Amino acid sequence: MTFYAPFCLPFILGALSMFAIVAGKWAVWLYRLPRADKMAILRGLPSRATLDAAGETICESLLHRRIFRVDPLLGYMHMSLAFGWFLLIAVGWIETVAYLGFRYVPLQGHVFFKYFATGLAHKPFFDFVMDLLLLFVLSGVALAWVKRLRSKAMGMRRTTKHVLGDRIALSALWLIFPARLVAESATCALYGGGGFLTGTLGGWMHDHLGVMASINLEAAAWWVYSSCLGLFFVAMPFSRYMHIFTEIPLIFLRRYRLRSGEKKKSYDRFQVEACSRCGICIDPCQLQNVLEIDNVQSVYFLRDRRYKMLRPEVADNCLMCGRCAAKCPVGIDLNTLRLNSRDTLRNLPDKRRYAYLKEIDRSQGAGRVGYFAGCMTLLTPRILTAMEQIFTAAREEVWWADRDGGVCCGRPLKLSGETDAARKMMRYNTDLFRKHNIATLVTSCPICLKVFREDYALEGIEVLHHSEYILRLMQSGRLRTDRGDTSYTYHDPCELGRGSGSYEQPRAVIEAIGRLLEPADTRENALCCGSSVANTAISDRQQVALARNVAAELEATGAETIVTACPLCKKAIARGAAKEVHDLAEIVAARIRR
Amino acid sequence: MKKTIIIGGGAAGMQTALRLAERGIEPLIVEKEADLGGKLRGWHALFPSFTPAEEVLAELRRRIEEKKIAVRTHTEVQSITPRSVTLADGTTLPCDAVVLASGFTLFDAAIKEEYGYGLYDNVFTSVDIERMLNEKRVTRADGSAPRRIALLHCVGSRDEKVCQQHCSRVCCITGVKQAMELKQLFPEADIFNFYMDIRMFGPGYEEMYREAQQKCNVHFVRGRISEAAPTIDGRVQIKAEDTLTGRPLRMSVDMLILLVGMRANDDNATLNSDLSRAPSGFMAPRDHFLHHVESNVEGIFYAGTVTSPKNIGETLDEAAAAADAVAEYLKN
Repeated sequence: MTFYAPFCLPFILGALSMFAIVAGKWAVWLYRLPRADKMAILRGLPSRATLDAAGETICESLLHRRIFRVDPLLGYMHMSLAFGWFLLIAVGWIETVAYLGFRYVPLQGHVFFKYFATGLAHKPFFDFVMDLLLLFVLSGVALAWVKRLRSKAMGMRRTTKHVLGDRIALSALWLIFPARLVAESATCALYGGGGFLTGTLGGWMHDHLGVMASINLEAAAWWVYSSCLGLFFVAMPFSRYMHIFTEIPLIFLRRYRLRSGEKKKSYDRFQVEACSRCGICIDPCQLQNVLEIDNVQSVYFLRDRRYKMLRPEVADNCLMCGRCAAKCPVGIDLNTLRLNSRDTLRNLPDKRRYAYLKEIDRSQGAGRVGYFAGCMTLLTPRILTAMEQIFTAAREEVWWADRDGGVCCGRPLKLSGETDAARKMMRYNTDLFRKHNIATLVTSCPICLKVFREDYALEGIEVLHHSEYILRLMQSGRLRTDRGDTSYTYHDPCELGRGSGSYEQPRAVIEAIGRLLEPADTRENALCCGSSVANTAISDRQQVALARNVAAELEATGAETIVTACPLCKKAIARGAAKEVHDLAEIVAARIRR
Repeated sequence: MKKTIIIGGGAAGMQTALRLAERGIEPLIVEKEADLGGKLRGWHALFPSFTPAEEVLAELRRRIEEKKIAVRTHTEVQSITPRSVTLADGTTLPCDAVVLASGFTLFDAAIKEEYGYGLYDNVFTSVDIERMLNEKRVTRADGSAPRRIALLHCVGSRDEKVCQQHCSRVCCITGVKQAMELKQLFPEADIFNFYMDIRMFGPGYEEMYREAQQKCNVHFVRGRISEAAPTIDGRVQIKAEDTLTGRPLRMSVDMLILLVGMRANDDNATLNSDLSRAPSGFMAPRDHFLHHVESNVEGIFYAGTVTSPKNIGETLDEAAAAADAVAEYLKN
């Protein structure tokens, strides 16, 4: 039995080019990994992480479990294409073995088995199973068409606007399975056999087309099928479909604890090319659904970065609220990638600019507890005053790091891409905290909190947000408050909620002093206030539009007072709200039992 | 006799009513407060001549009484059409034309939380100072005399952060005027004006600005104050940047005075949904030249600061122009 026919050529060439390019890309990326990352892989390989990664690969790359959470129908669509195609290949291989026993069969022999197997006795079981699987995949293709026309039916208000290369690959992909159906059916029309799908369609062709037409159709259909495959394979490494193979090593590397950082590195390539441009990140983006900015979302950012056409206007136009990252089915670390793109675009270290940092120490008082207000808290002194009252009521000895002015925590600079300048601020503040020998560092600003926890080396110093600290004071009985009948609604600050995982503590504090009403989007889904320091591209007017949108949702709860736990969110939301907006510390201070 | 209802009994409303009465039209002033006078009641002396506000107000009131002009105080308006005014209690008053002279709302300085108004002692607004001047008792919170005073311009004006992009125009000259008045009360005190631009648009204003610098030794620093904080001894520490020398600056003062701007009334939007408004929220006249006291709705007219920030003189002029336009309209 020979496994070659001229129509196989497009497929063979396409497949060879694809395997060569993908393997080449991976080899270069892996080779360029820093030594520490390579060591992490070597350590991880023989560990449990490998097993976990394999499990995750099945769940995500094949079954697309995370997309099911967005929308079941959308999940089914992705699963039918990925898992269905995988099963067609796997069961196809078993079918070949069942027919021919264990022997070498070239790749095209497996793929075009129906074409070559016409002389063999039919196995109705495999005819049935293979048709069932083909139907499974075709149902996914049909849903993909529905999604193009009416994405809302699939739980997506907007879908990705694709570039030309993606459109070509997409068209080829959508044609592959209908072409396969026609090709196999035409073969069945001539030689009989086939299951409920190809057999039935083949029978119909046999009855209605005549032998000559069927012969011509068969020849053409296999050519079309092979060409579609070939075209798709050639386009794949350069298009969004690179994600099919790249998501797998990404899952393994992530399990081996490789992470992206504030500087670009080779691991980022796995993340960038693992983006399937599914567009699930578009709907959660408030820049899209409030301001109708439609070219900056993570999908477009990653695309532009991958094709080396990233402009600062795109890289900078992001609130970094993390709403898209929370929904990304591939789990790409979208904020960090954007951050290191900004670093590449903007990091221009200036040695003289921060020379003044050496001499300053305006801190006041002494105590094991240090309080870092942060720039935004200094601009919202009601919070500062409230914290002072809370410290006094709890009889806490406090070292005030920056009440009389201090040095920025560094996060705004880091977020804007000036990572080296940010490091200078971080070093200065670290030295200051060490010099004053504090054991606990409390801050009212979640922006500062995040950078203290993630970028400062503060071993031995416990870093707390004031919501966590206040709750501790209440639970230990050091701070006694009266419960009133005021109703509050709570806005989760991005940097405290999604950024630092603190959802419960602020809620516990509010519930201790009044009634808490949750807005429609809350916790992991909470909206961003719109004034994020991470976005240097939108105007004040646009920030206010975002604030109005958030305020409307908070006011819709019917609560008397809007509470948040971030000075920036407080200022931002107040610009769009008719009701009073307060920080958590303010409402606690007002209810201290004397 | 044709009847015109004037909404608002401040300087603009009173002047419009007087002029209409002279032209044989029956005016009715609807005022939400207990007395006529509007914001003028709170002012001490008017720039550039230091004429007591009370003098202007008393004369306007006297004329209103003399002409026996109908006034309904304690009356709030819910909505207007060219031929009627509906009050908050639901009653509808018929008329032949309406003049909207409802003025402006003062910017709430507490919104600029970083300046500590309502939070620290010794942070005041320009309105507080006018009141204290009227009460003849300008002091710090503890009753003592200030020795160093800072006046901050543009609080709630030209500030995108608080959605007030427009210039309120009169705060610059108010800052100069109050600095001079304070200097007279406290000759030993150092007085600083922190500004980003000084806009001396009116007659005699520039001269006053010069006099403040040359005769009264008032200091002008170009730069906005970024934040204020209380000190242990009850003073206010301010941080600013002197943008002419390019240096950051930090100073403790006994009084911080915030020159608050004018903003559009919140109910401008609800009085009549056909009336067009400027992006600032103030009412937009039909045009800025030949129909500047007319609205885009025939039969509804504007007078005074309901369309944009103005000083008292401009307001009185515009009120007369509005009355003339109403008279012209009612002739047809």
